[in-house]
Parts: sequence; C-alpha cells; structure tokens
Amino acid sequence: MSIIAPKFRLGYFIKSLLDNVFWIIILLTLVGIPTIQVALFFIDLPVIDGDLLTPFLALTWLADPSRTLPIVKTLMQTDFFKIAVFPGFGFAALLAAGTIFVERKLLAKLQLRVGPFYCGKIEGLLQLMGDGLKLISKEIIIPAKADKPIFWIAPLLFVGTAAAFISLIPVSPGWVIADLDVGLLAFFVIIGFFPIITVLSSWSANSKFPFIGGIRALHQMVSFEIPLILSLLGIVILTGSLNLSEIVESQYNYPWIIFMPIGAIVFFIAMLAELERIPFDLPEAESEIVAGWLTEFSGMMYGLVQLGSYLKLYAFAALFVVLFLGGWNGPMVIPPFPQEIITDGIELGPISVTVPGLPLFTPEMLNGTFWFTIKTVGVIFFILMPRGVFPRIRIDLLLHIGWYKLIGLAFVNIFISLSLLYAGVLGPGGMI
Amino acid sequence: MVLKLPPGIKLEKEDDKIMTLNVGPQHPGSGHMRIIVKIDGDYIVSCDPDPGYVHRGEEKMAEYRNYITNIPHLERPVIHDSCNILYPYCLGVEEILGIEVPERAKYVRVIASELNRCVYTLYWLAIYGIFLGHSTMFMWPAGDRELLIDLLEKLSGARVTHAYFVPGGVRNDMPANFEDVCLRQINYFEKRIKQYDSIFYSNPILKSRTINTGVLGKKDAIRLGSTGSVLRASGVDFDIRKKEPYDVYDNLDFQTNVLKSGDSYARSKLPWLDMLESCRIIRNALEKIPKSGSVRVKLKPNPKAGNVETYKRVESGRGSLGMHIISNGKPEPYRVKISVGSFRNLICLPYLLKGEKLGNMPSVYWSLNYWPVEADR
Amino acid sequence: MNANIPNKVKTDIDGDKDNEIEKHDVDLPELEKDIANKLTDKFDTKIKVIFIKKNRIKVDTNKNNILEIAKFINQNLKFDHVESVSGVDYPDQNEIEVVYHLGSYDPSISNQILALSTRTIRETTPHPGFDRTRLPSLRDIFYSVEFHERECFEMLGVYFENHPDNRRLLLPEDWADLPPLRKDFKIKGR
Repeated sequence: MSIIAPKFRLGYFIKSLLDNVFWIIILLTLVGIPTIQVALFFIDLPVIDGDLLTPFLALTWLADPSRTLPIVKTLMQTDFFKIAVFPGFGFAALLAAGTIFVERKLLAKLQLRVGPFYCGKIEGLLQLMGDGLKLISKEIIIPAKADKPIFWIAPLLFVGTAAAFISLIPVSPGWVIADLDVGLLAFFVIIGFFPIITVLSSWSANSKFPFIGGIRALHQMVSFEIPLILSLLGIVILTGSLNLSEIVESQYNYPWIIFMPIGAIVFFIAMLAELERIPFDLPEAESEIVAGWLTEFSGMMYGLVQLGSYLKLYAFAALFVVLFLGGWNGPMVIPPFPQEIITDGIELGPISVTVPGLPLFTPEMLNGTFWFTIKTVGVIFFILMPRGVFPRIRIDLLLHIGWYKLIGLAFVNIFISLSLLYAGVLGPGGMI
Repeated sequence: MVLKLPPGIKLEKEDDKIMTLNVGPQHPGSGHMRIIVKIDGDYIVSCDPDPGYVHRGEEKMAEYRNYITNIPHLERPVIHDSCNILYPYCLGVEEILGIEVPERAKYVRVIASELNRCVYTLYWLAIYGIFLGHSTMFMWPAGDRELLIDLLEKLSGARVTHAYFVPGGVRNDMPANFEDVCLRQINYFEKRIKQYDSIFYSNPILKSRTINTGVLGKKDAIRLGSTGSVLRASGVDFDIRKKEPYDVYDNLDFQTNVLKSGDSYARSKLPWLDMLESCRIIRNALEKIPKSGSVRVKLKPNPKAGNVETYKRVESGRGSLGMHIISNGKPEPYRVKISVGSFRNLICLPYLLKGEKLGNMPSVYWSLNYWPVEADR
Repeated sequence: MNANIPNKVKTDIDGDKDNEIEKHDVDLPELEKDIANKLTDKFDTKIKVIFIKKNRIKVDTNKNNILEIAKFINQNLKFDHVESVSGVDYPDQNEIEVVYHLGSYDPSISNQILALSTRTIRETTPHPGFDRTRLPSLRDIFYSVEFHERECFEMLGVYFENHPDNRRLLLPEDWADLPPLRKDFKIKGR
C-alpha cells in the first residue's frame, strides 16, 4: 500500500500556499524594491525619440503591436525559430504527439477497447503528458558492466539524428531549415547513422538480449537501406535534382506516385522496416528478446529513444509526402486576405488600436502547410494501421523480402523512369 | 576438496560461439518457467526447459485434506480450466465411494466443462497472439472470454475459480432461463470466433511464420507421449471424450478434429476448431438435458472409502488430464497423483526447438498448449 | 496403517491370481482379460495381476523383471506411451511403489490404461541418488517417461538407473530437505 500524500488535508494545503505568497511579498518589498531603486539610481537610461526611456515607457512599447510585430517578423526569419519552432522541432514534436494519441485510440478501437480515457478528461488527451512525466520521474538504471559513456550518449545521439533528419524536410515554400542542394544525399547519410547508433547502444549495454536486438536491427536497417535508396533513384532521374524543395516544385502538376507506384510501395515497405514498426519490429520483438536493443534503457533514456523514433516516424512520413505525394502542392483553400488588413491593419477591441502589417504568414505558406500536414497525417495513418492487423515477421523472411523482392522491384522502378525519360514523356524537356 | 556433483549434472566446457540465453522466468515470452536456450547464431542448438517456479505441492496438500475439502485447492493449478481439472477428481472419488451421479448433473457438467474449455482456449489463444506480436489477437479473445465467464458466473457464482464440480454431481442447479441465455451467448460467440479465421489464421505473415516450423511427426508425437491438441495436430485421432467417454459424452453428437501437418500452425489452429466443436456440444447438451431432476447426490459429511485405487482421465483444454487416487480407508486420500497434459507435452519442447530459429521459439513453445502453472502443480 | 493395500484390493474388488480371474469371468470385460492373460501367459510367476476393471488393468512386478515386461508390453501389446508415473510411499512396508500408467494411441485399445507397478527399498534417511532406492529407468522403452521419472526422483528420491538426465525438475536447486512426497515429510501446521 502506497499513499501519495499520507496526511493530506485541504486546509493545510491552502495554508502552505498562503504562507508562500506571504513570504514572497515580504521578501519583494524588503529586498526587491530597494534593489531596483538602487540599480536605477546608478544606470543612465537612454533617450529614444526625445523621451527618456523609463521602465514605464518600455512596458508601454511592449504592449504596442505596431512596434512588436516587426520584431516578431524578424524573429520568425531567424534560424533559431526555424529549428526550434516551426518547420523544426516544435512542429514535428506536436505532430508526433498527435500521432501517438491517434495511434493509441485507433488501435484501441480496432481491438474493441477504449484506450486512454481518464487522464485529461476528454478521451485521455493528456495521457501522453502523464507518461512523459512518469518517465522523467523514473530512476535511470545503468547496467553495472555497461560501457557507460556510450550507453549514456546513445539515446541523445538517436534523438539528435532524428532531429537532423527533420531539418531536411521542406514544409512549405521557403520554410525549410537546411535547403541543401544535395538534400537527398544528406538523407541517405543520416539514415546510415541509425544502425550505427543502435549497434553502439546495444553493444555498450553489455547484455545478451540488447546485443541480439542490436544485431537484428543492424541486419534489418542495412538490408533495407539499399531498396530504400534505389527506390528514390527514379525520382532523381526524372527531376534532375537532389534538392528536396526542387523535387516538390517539380510535382506542381502531378505527384510522382502516379508514374512510380512501384517505387512508392518499395519505399513505403522499406520505410516500415527502417522505422521498426510492426510487422517489422524484430529488433524489439518482445516475446523473443525481451525488448531488443531497448531492454536496458530505463526512465527518460527510454523516453528519449521513443521520442526519437516518433520523430523519425514523422520525418519518414514527411519524406514520403515530399517525394511521392507532391509535398505542399495542393489546391488553394486559404482565402486571400482583404487588402485593408495588409495596408491599414485591423482595429482591435474597445481601445481601437490599429495594428498594421498583421498577417504574419502569407496565404501560400499557410496553404502549403495545410496540405503538407494533411498528407503527412494520412501517411502516418497508413504506417500505424498494420500494427492492428499483422503479427511480427521472422528475421529470415524479412531479409528475404529485402534482398530478393524489394531490390528487384526497385530496379523495375528505375527502368520505368528511365524509359519515361528516354521516351521524352517526363523529365527535363519532357512532354508533360 | 573435490566438489561432488549430484548425479546427472555435468560441468561442460563450451565453445565461445554458443550463447546461452535464460528465457524466463522474468522474460515476457516464457510464462512462469525458464527455458535455457543455447544458440549458435540464430539457430537453437539445445534447449533445456526448467519448470517448477510455481510448484505448489498440490499432491502433497491433497493428502492432508478430506475428499470434500480437496475440491477448491485442486483446481488451482489451472484456474482458467478449473472445471476440467476437477472433473477426473470427481469421477475418481465417485468411483471409489460408489456414487451414481444423476442424469441432469451429468449434462450440467458437460456444459460447464465445455464452456470452461473455451475460456481456457481463448486465454491461451490470446497469449499465442501476443507471442507472435499480434496485439489484436490478444485483445479479441480476452474480450470474448467475458461472454463465457459471465455464463459460468451465472452457473457457479464465481468468475474464474468455480469449484463447481463436487463428487456426486454439481454444487447447484442451473439458474432459471440459463438455457436461453447460454444458447444466445453461444451463438454470438460462435459467430465471433469465426472472425478469428480472417484476422489470424488466414494472415499471410502468420502462415509464413508458423507453417513448417516445429514439425512433430505422427510417430514422434506418439513416442513422446504428447496429448491433446498437439497429438491431434500431428494426425493421431485420439480424444478421450470419444475413446473413453465419461458422463454423457457418448450421447452427444460431435466429432474430433484432426490435422495432418503437425506444425505450429496446425497446433495453433486445432484448439480453435475444438472451440467451434465445443459450441456444438453445448447446443446439443442443452437440447438433450433432462428438464428437471436433482443435480447432486448428498455425500456423508466425512466420506471414507475402502482400500481402493483408481485412475480417471478426461480431455481437458490441454489434453488428457488423469488423476490417480489411492485410498486407504481414511477420510483423506492416501495419494493423489495429477497427471496433466501440459507436463506431458513439455517433453516435446527440447525435441522441437533443436535446430529451430530463435524467432520460432515463442510460436513453437506456446503452440504446445503448455500451461506452466498446471505443469508444476 | 495400510499394510497391504494390494491384497485388500484383490479380495475386495477383483481377482488377483489366475484362478480368481477365471472365477470373475462373467463380470470382466473381454479386452482387459485378454491383455491380462497375454501377460500372465508370458511371465506367469514374474507378474501379479492386482485388479482388472473396466478399461483398467494393474499388474505388479519385481524391479528385476520390469524392463523385460515393459519391453513386452511396448512391442507386443501396443501400449506406446506413459500417461503418468506416480510414486507412492509406504513407510510401514519400508517400500516405495512406482506406478506407470501406460496408455495407447492404437485405436483398438486406446481406452485402456495398463498400470504397471513395481517396488523398491525405502531408506529411512534418504540420500537421493546415492542410496539403495533405485529402479531401472524405462526411458529407453517409453521415451515419454523422461520427465515423469525426473519428477519421481526429486519427489520421492527414487534414482532411476540409466536415465540420461537425473536432475531436479520442479523443486528448487537448493532443496536440502527430505523428498517432499515421502510420508515423513510433514507440512507445517498440519
């Protein structure tokens, strides 16, 4: 029997809150206000627009939209914003969190259960947050004979590599962190890191089941990288570019999946194997090798690996969208902004403040993001679905699929694209 | 000082290439037992099952309690199949005490026993599904099991540990309108388990994983003394309900399912076919059951038997389940030996796993219809 | 307390010696009698029929003859597997009885169980594996007996000679008490 709060009484709780408030007020008045006054006495405040910048004036400016909006707009063009918030980590993590929620509820409905229900009142919305808090609060146990530095760093490397993957994804026109001319090559390089990290972590854990899982992961990832790369060559042949943004722009009229369905299927299957999703979750095959290469991870180390794998899931789904489904291209659904908003701004609220330069984003950008998100969520849905339908495959059957069938199909795809190119139908200078 | 080893244990020196894996008892794919597996690459070179983690000495306990107080604890080895494990005990005690069971009680026993067989098989199937990584196959049988558990709760008052069979009949009669409810639930249940075929047994990945793995030939199945679904999946037509009918099984209309191939797929499919057959048996028994009559012969408070011994066996969810009861004229049995199908099928495991791939270990192991708690007793 | 279970059984229930089987001819089922007669014809004094009931026969034999008899049962009578091996401790007679319940998957006699019992000396202070409580293993004849005999070894301390793998099965490795199914092992509190 464990009791969370042994002698919990609401009165004591409120009293402790009030105690804290009381002491904060006392300390602020006795220490904080004299400190500020003494500091202001010695500081020369600048004169801006003929006004002495007092703290009062500074607060007024902060609340003035016409002064803050340009700052926000500049901030949005910085690399920091791109990496941390929009096409980068924040957006991806939000989509990944949504993915986990949808996966749980979907699987539950498929299996005639309810799924997460209580945490967060509405359909268990906050269950993921609860799980994250639990993982953070857990003790991290390191095996005694583990190779500690590598074991510590492996989950960080995993998340870092997954995040590097995300930086290549163009979400909407101009909104990409690293717009490389060799974007696709960079992608091949990054997925080459995952087996190395897996083997490092499983080797450093110095335990049998992680070792077997790591070796399995190595086999699986290496043998599926080849069809993965080959299946994309058709697109490179037809587009004549390795830049992901240019590949998206080349699909303005039609997505490549129309001409290269075989390549898309090969890429999708190889993607499932790279992601270690069911039915290819051999490296984590529970009933054979406990949890595979994740066996010895505990607490937030496990949480980081899970975060990394879901980021990877998002990145792969986004890549599928970018390469085969036309990325941000789609019919314009966002209505054009009224002209007077751009020039005059809008009037806000009872105080009638005019806010010019308001639309932070262009309609094209919003539209691109909308279509990109819709497509990505659809692809993620297809990645999640097999989990409820298929059992786990065996390693020899898996390698057989990879080496015999998928590579052959990938070559068929290359021949199709080459014949389309030489027939002059598609590609640079083609008919369409 | 030289360490003297117990007989049979050898210190062995092994090649470094061979890795020893302790699968269990804390492994998600073992149940309450340990399988010491030695692997060379992905191939298993030897396998040594080590049961006994849930040994409770049921046989010893039975020597200290009289014939009636033995009932609730003898069902503990396999609570999911508690009616069937009490069945041979009741039959044996009835024989040594010379009791004739009323006709209606026999039918009620058959119904409860078949319901309980389905409950066990569903639980087993659920775990088989999760062992193969098929999470839907874990949830569906676990949910459908509730239908039958509700029925058994109506019948006996308890959801899992029923203690429903007593020497001389069953503990209480069926409640009013039980026949209708049972028929309705069974019809729905049959419709439901037919869907398992499309999601599980026709699944191409499942087939590619289990067909032709862990093949137990007909001769080997007989030589190893396997029983139940393992035996019938290898092509031997042996079902105690048919071959040595107890209670009213000779009046009922059913057939024995036999599959020829003897691989993991056949062994996993056969209990499912048996469940469909159980539905038939239950419907048939509900038709033929006498509409009224007593269901229990009252025993004396502390019955004593003469110096007799008996061996009774029934077909449980895991095959033949025999009880060897020796009485010496006292209220307590002198010796109760429980011979269970799980324990008899265990010997197939080292035989089947040798030379298999590690990935086949869960599917072969669990397809043996092995219940660790029952095997340990 | 139960000095002679087998004797009482034979007088109470069914016949034991050959002439008694003749006497009960009318009651006894045909198939069972046939099997018992085959056995008694072959090994007339080496074997003792304890009882013949419906579908059940029990024969008793000396431990020196058990291999021979088991081989005969396996090859000529088509009993092909062992259903259970129960060891019974008789401290009064200073003996341990081991009963092999032999079954058959042959359709003609698949309802039959032949109980083959034999007895060995019981030591008052057992030292499993090193004392005189020994029996020949039937593992070469009935392969399915392997785990049953291992269980019998740890539960009653009967060492089976020529058994390939006479290790502990169910009990913990550090069990240092008496073999638990002996009658002098008492459950605490009872």
